[in-house]
Parts: sequence; structure tokens; C-alpha cells
Amino acid sequence: MTINIAHLFPDILNLYGENGNIKALKYALEKLNYQVSITNVTIEDKIEFPKYDFVYIGSGRSEYLKLAQQKLLEYKNDILSYIKKDKVMLVTGNALSLFEFLNLYEVSKEQTFKVADVKATTSLCNGMIYAFQNTEYLIKSTTNLIFNLESGFGNNETMLEGFKEHNFYVTSLIGPLLARNDNLTKYFVNTLTENH
Amino acid sequence: MKTLAIITGKILIFLGSLLHRGSTLPGKTALKIDKKLLSKLKYPENTIVITGSSGKGSTSNLIATTLKNNGAKVTFNESGSNLDRGITTTLLKNCTLTGKIKTDYIVLEMDERYTKKAFQYLNPKYVIITNLTKDQPPRQHYTDLVYQDILESIPKDTKIITNMDDPYLRKFSKDLKNEIIYYSIQENKYSYKKQIFENLNIYRCPYCHTTLEYSYYNFETLGKYNCPSCSFKYETPNYLGTLDLDSSIIKVKNDKYEIGGDMLYNAYNTLAAIATLKELDIPSSTIINSFKKINCSKKTSFESYNKTFTAISCKAENATTYNQAVFKVISDKSKKDIIIGWKEISRRYNYFDISWLYDVEFELLLKNTHKFYCCGIDAENIAKRLILGGIPEEKIITAPSLLEIKEEVIKDEVDKVYGILNFDYIEPFKETMREENNDN
Repeated sequence: MTINIAHLFPDILNLYGENGNIKALKYALEKLNYQVSITNVTIEDKIEFPKYDFVYIGSGRSEYLKLAQQKLLEYKNDILSYIKKDKVMLVTGNALSLFEFLNLYEVSKEQTFKVADVKATTSLCNGMIYAFQNTEYLIKSTTNLIFNLESGFGNNETMLEGFKEHNFYVTSLIGPLLARNDNLTKYFVNTLTENH
Repeated sequence: MKTLAIITGKILIFLGSLLHRGSTLPGKTALKIDKKLLSKLKYPENTIVITGSSGKGSTSNLIATTLKNNGAKVTFNESGSNLDRGITTTLLKNCTLTGKIKTDYIVLEMDERYTKKAFQYLNPKYVIITNLTKDQPPRQHYTDLVYQDILESIPKDTKIITNMDDPYLRKFSKDLKNEIIYYSIQENKYSYKKQIFENLNIYRCPYCHTTLEYSYYNFETLGKYNCPSCSFKYETPNYLGTLDLDSSIIKVKNDKYEIGGDMLYNAYNTLAAIATLKELDIPSSTIINSFKKINCSKKTSFESYNKTFTAISCKAENATTYNQAVFKVISDKSKKDIIIGWKEISRRYNYFDISWLYDVEFELLLKNTHKFYCCGIDAENIAKRLILGGIPEEKIITAPSLLEIKEEVIKDEVDKVYGILNFDYIEPFKETMREENNDN
């Protein structure tokens, strides 16, 4: 069985080693004998949401966030229907700023970069989550949260972080998040394999 | 206030020299007495600032030492204290009581984020930008912010000296009217045709964002590029170097210069220094002789236990320096062991950020490597990075110190051992792996 992973715009959104998240997912899936197909999507490509099981997008420079946003705006309905179908999408770091147009959550642009070691728990999996933050954007909404922070910067100055709607997961955490947390990777692997 | 600050600074420098103490306290104290001290000093016309993500130390050393060898008096922060306090100490050492810098030249290695403050008063004649790559993410966040700092603060008459081979640095031509002097290294024995590194700063045209095409790469995004959609392209540089990396020589016009090592960055740093010194009308013969002296003893390899050990120095949190090491190792096609490690990631702050490890292309090492030894406090994190990069677990050994792997390494069947190490692990590596009574 093949799991289709799409990595959106890795040639421009590639700060902070975030393709480590793809490497971690691929490694865990292959251990379970799944075939993994990774599509690196560029801003010139058509984004074929129905074809993907997992869509990932990570941090970028502001000049490139603008480029990515222009592209994503064309896909509002595709993204919403992808989410409604319970398909999995992970957004990390400052890429969280790209999806405010879906009107699911609000974003705040911070005066200074928020940099912190993050220690957290989550209802998605057991154990601690260890991650890092280095972002000028945070989530403002305080509903549909993912992480309970012991350290780090949460949504709207709380100690709660992230946004989740069906299997659409948005977080300011980097690390790379999945590479540093096998427990969380396992959660995504289970979700993906149950979907199949 | 100014005079009091200068006198106090000078007294502290004198006392510090008696006690062999650090180089920031006199500057710190003087700035406390007079915050605007640096704007009140009188600088010589020939002020040269060297900045960038890496290579600024070696480049500034080549420039300053050669100017001295040419008979000039030079103010130079050779201790590498490259922020306000250290730079202030350096300037105080070399000024009169009225604040006039007594030397013919000022050569300052400067932290790239400090340029924003310093350019206001220094008004440098030349600014050399060695490179702008991913570096210290918790502090720098990303390259554009460093770029923006330099862009916004650079005085309009300052001439920039930088690398034509890097399309990212060409943004200066796009955004500034300043005169820019470019250097470049021609296609050489180790150049290649297809991009092999992921997660780099720039793959697209800085003007129209089309993916750039390359006729060759020297390393990462350095090479001969052109945009297929607009007129942006590599252009003829002011200083073109022909590199023979195996003999550590770069040729510019008809002159041959020692680059002091067999790493590509040695060549780029040397070329940046050549361009600067030629702009300052220093004769080629002086530069050649001076580089011969400075660049002589930088041997990275030694023989021990019937093996060749090579220690490659990198800068933690700077993926480019690690990629350089990876690139160096893969240029040797023979079977080898690799040791990766460091004492600590950062001396500047307490963050634990290992994201940069995932920006390094360790995957390229899989071919021709017998064993990977991951060493030091982050051995497990390094090992995990390798495993997620597809390197088989049975090839990976972790240990908290170099001493614990020593026996296994020297007994191993391969003849070559490469250390891809943070600079703080170079000496421990040499000490541990060198056979006793072996002066090689």
C-alpha cells in the first residue's frame, strides 16, 4: 500500500530543516512496510489535493510566504474539502500565517520573533513533546488547541498552542517536530494508516 | 565625557594586558561613560569592514596582516571580538586622547547584525560580505533579516566587495546604488552540474522568482547561474579566480596565491581578501608573499595508527559549513569512517535548537562510508538525523566522548577517518586520535 505525501513548496519554504518532518514520517511508515511516495510541489505545479494522503508545509522567508500564499488562495475550496474529508495536513512554524484565509483560525503577527525551547503535552499522544519555536507569527484563536505548553509561547498569550480541525493540524512548533518526537509521528502514522 | 571614556578605556586596556584578561571590558566601561563615544572618534579614510555568516575572521586576518606586511599601521580586532564592546576596545587601543585613530587603516571583522549600529559612525570605505547563509537560527531567524540590516545601514559611498557566484548576494545590486566589486571562482575540478543540496536560501531568481538554471555549481548555490525568464544572470566579475584546490593555489590574472587549505571556503576567503587588497592598490608580490606566510600551517590531516585522519572544522548552527565538510568528504571516493560531533552547539545562548542538523545533506555520505561515529553530548540526536536520512542503523555508533570510540576506530578496517566537527572538537579529536610520540 502506498501513502502519498505532498510537500508544498520545499524549494522556497525550507527554513529550520523542516523536511525532517517528511523524513521522520517516511521512516516510520516504511518500518511498517508501507510504500511512501513523496511529491515536492512547486508554485508552478498544480496542487492535486485529492491524490494526497498527507500534505505538509513548513516555514519560509517573508518574501516566499507571500509567493506561497498567492498560490494557495487559488485552492481555498480544494483545501476545505480536503479537510472535510478527514485527510491529513500538517502546517508548522511561520507557515501557520498562510491559512488565515480559510477562516478557521486567526493569526497574530508578533512585534519580535518568538524564540523558545518548547516542552509540551498533547491529547494526540502520550509522553512529552520537545520542540522549538522561532517565529514572527502565532495563532490567535484559542479553540481547537493541540498542545499544552510547559514552556514556550502559546496562542494569544496562553500556554495552549496550535489549531486542529478534523485532521488539519497547525502549529508554530518546529524542531523538526516529528523528527524530534516519535510519539507524535506514531500518531500521524496511525491516523494515515487508519484512513487507508 | 569623551575624554574620560577614552582615558578610562585605555587604563583598563593597560590593566587587562597585565592580567591577560579579555577584550570586551574596556569597551563596555567606556561606552557606559559615554554612550555616543563611537560617533565622536575620528576615523581614517581607509576603514574596512568584513562581515558575513562565515569566513569573516580568516578574511579579515588576511587583509589586516597583509596591510601590516606592506608597512602600514593597522587597527584590527584580531581577537575576533566583533560586537560593540570588543570593537570599541580595539578602537580605544589605537586612538589618541582626543579620539583620533592613529593608524592608516582600520580593519574590522564585524558581526553581521552589529553592522546596523556601526555603519552610522564608521562610514567604511569598503564592506566585504563573505556570504549570507543560514546561521544561528535562534539569533538570526533567517538570512533576509541580516540582509535587511546591512541594506538599510550601508552608507551610500561605501563600496561593497562580494561574491558573484552567489545569486543571493546579487540582491545588493538589485536594491542598492552603491558600487559593488565582485569576485568569482571559475568552474574547477570539483564543480558539478546538478544541484545536490536541499534546504538552501535561494534557488529562484531574486527579480522574478523563476527557478534559476546553472551551467555548473561550485558548491550549494554558488556557481554560474542564469534566469530563464528575465535578464538576471551571472556577470563577468572584477576578480576571477582559477582554482587548483589540490595544490591549494588560486590564480587571479597571472598571479598565484596560496589559499591555506584544501577547502573551497579557503579559496573564497582568500579571493575576497585579494579583491580588497588589490582595490587598495597593494602590489601583487606583497600579497603573494604575505599569504605564503599566513596561509602556511593549516594542515587538516595527520597520520596515526596507519590511518589518515582529517579534521574538518565546522560551525554549529551553520548548515553551510557542515555541507562544506560533507562535500569535502564525498570528493574522496575511497572507503572511510566518519566521526561527527561537538562539545556544545552554542556559546551565545542556552537554546537547544537542532533544526539546522536537518538542513545538512548528510544523505550524501551514505556512499563509501563504512561507519558513522556520532560523538559528544548530542550523539543521539546526530544518530537520529542520520537514521532518518536513510543511513542503516548498523553503520551508526554513538558515544558520549571521542575516547570511547578510539579503540574501535583504530581497529577498523578502513584507512581513512574524517572528522566532521564543530570547531570546539578539533583539538580533542587531534589529541585523542594522534598516536603518542607521533609528530605528524
